[in-house]
Amino acid sequence: MSSAPQDGPPAGPSQGGPPARASQGGPAAGPPPGGPGAGASRRGPSTGTAVLAILRKEVRVELRTLESVPAMCLFSVTTFVLFHFALDRDSVNGDLASGILWVTLLFSGVLAINRLFVADEEQGGFDGFLLAPVDRSALLIAKFLTLLGFLVVLEIVAVPAFGLLLLEPSVGRVVLRLIGILLLADVGIAAVGTLVAALAVRTRARDLLGPLLALPLLVPVVIGGARACAPLFAAGHPASVPVRWLETLGLYDLVFGLLAYAVFDFLLED
Amino acid sequence: MPAIPLHTAVSYVAGAYLVFFALVLIYVAIMASKLSRIETELSELTELAIKERENRDPAPTGGPKTDPAPTGGPKTDPTEAGGPKPEAVAR
Amino acid sequence: MYGKGLRALSVTTALVMSGAIALVFFWAPEDADQGFAQKIFYVHVPMAIVALCGFVAGGLMAIAHLRTRDSRWDMRSYVAIHLSIILGVGVLLTGSIWARVSWGHWWVWNEPTLVSFLIIFLLYCTYQPLRFSIQDPERQARYASVFAIMAGAFVPLNFIAVRLAQQYTHPRVLGNISGNLPGKMEWTFFASMLGMTLLFVTLWKYEMTSKHASSQLRRLKRLLGEEGQSTGRRSAAPAPRQRATQV
Repeated sequence: MSSAPQDGPPAGPSQGGPPARASQGGPAAGPPPGGPGAGASRRGPSTGTAVLAILRKEVRVELRTLESVPAMCLFSVTTFVLFHFALDRDSVNGDLASGILWVTLLFSGVLAINRLFVADEEQGGFDGFLLAPVDRSALLIAKFLTLLGFLVVLEIVAVPAFGLLLLEPSVGRVVLRLIGILLLADVGIAAVGTLVAALAVRTRARDLLGPLLALPLLVPVVIGGARACAPLFAAGHPASVPVRWLETLGLYDLVFGLLAYAVFDFLLED
Repeated sequence: MPAIPLHTAVSYVAGAYLVFFALVLIYVAIMASKLSRIETELSELTELAIKERENRDPAPTGGPKTDPAPTGGPKTDPTEAGGPKPEAVAR
Repeated sequence: MYGKGLRALSVTTALVMSGAIALVFFWAPEDADQGFAQKIFYVHVPMAIVALCGFVAGGLMAIAHLRTRDSRWDMRSYVAIHLSIILGVGVLLTGSIWARVSWGHWWVWNEPTLVSFLIIFLLYCTYQPLRFSIQDPERQARYASVFAIMAGAFVPLNFIAVRLAQQYTHPRVLGNISGNLPGKMEWTFFASMLGMTLLFVTLWKYEMTSKHASSQLRRLKRLLGEEGQSTGRRSAAPAPRQRATQV
């Protein structure tokens, strides 16, 4: 945490009592007690600056250690190979193709989710962050953007690999629509993934709990994504994508995005 | 869809309701074991309270005062001075 | 005190449930399509609905816990979720039996309620391991509440998603849930719903009473100055902190 100034007093909510952020979002939450005036009343950088600072750190760490992203990409390509042997198929299309792609993306994503907060937990980054006079959601937003970035890079590698190895119809003709669907789903995966990662990292069984929590929660994303992509991979002519799947993904992103924002603070108090 | 012959249907329906009852009864059994554990611990505590009270005032007027009401003991203890209360919180 | 009124409640539950079962087997007419096997519906569906409401209620109680920091809300949330998981096992088993009777297989994918229930059940199965793996009780309660809120919000979302997924590929078997039932069946269904709800509340109160009693016992032990008497068993259940336990 080299970029955030550490001189201010510890942030208010760390003294206990319900943080002002807690009641935002969330359908059943009541009115926020004191308004979310984050940057104005406290000394210290604004949320945006903090987010950028953490983000820069994350990118730098990832570039230096090359921990998550190459593993994710390699894992996805290996999984495609496995599918080739398991299904005994040279090429797939339609529903099957869509399903294979999404399951692979999901499992590769879980790798990143597992590693997302590990460095912070092991090297005291959480404590350092808590002492900084910044809004705690900055960590959430920064980690969310990091995970989103990782997923995008994964897809840049995995989708062409999929097109090369297993997909029968060519990806090129449906690229734009595919990118749209992938991005929409990535937002949901990143929101849920960040929350689950934060939850799991400070328990004892973190490697086990992460996937166990994330995968059922991500079922709607798989449903929406796979059903949306299936017509795109149809043998012959790609069909149009039913809007309801995009709506499902959008609703999911909205609900879990807000929920993550509302609830994240409670995971950090310690 | 043609209706299933009654005798097989009855056995399946019976099975389903049986599952429901079995669950409730298993739950009751688990709660029962918890209750019996509470009971044993409570009796242990009562013994302990009686012993402590004996230790504190070894009354010459008789033997061990058996306190039949288990609720009497714990109430008096905190008010007795000098009682060690190490907060060995084992969670 | 949680035990107050428990007796009256359990008697009411027993009466209502017996009444409901009597209605199911002696009053409700047999379904034209599925015959006698349709009677499973009266135990399977109320269990499912009550379990789902239990999960959502657990989430709401968890919100209360995070806002008030009162550990009693955490205990209530835990018990609600714990009971719903048990009911969930029942839902899956009775659903499987129903699938076998209706379709000949022990599991079917074309019943969206059952399928989404499976997903939710798998999710909530991680609740206890999550609690178990955090030692510090305050943090355990907090993290469990976060999970309960997430999962509680997930329940309706999941339903919508799974329903959408199945809707256009498979016809729904349970089309009668939303009130297309003929009169007598509808009443019987309501009676079973009432019975099941009462059962849930009774069992909830029952378990809360037991937990409360254990915690009072632990407090008593501490007051009597007992050391080294740690109960060797670690439980995933929340341990309430030492406050004035007035309810």
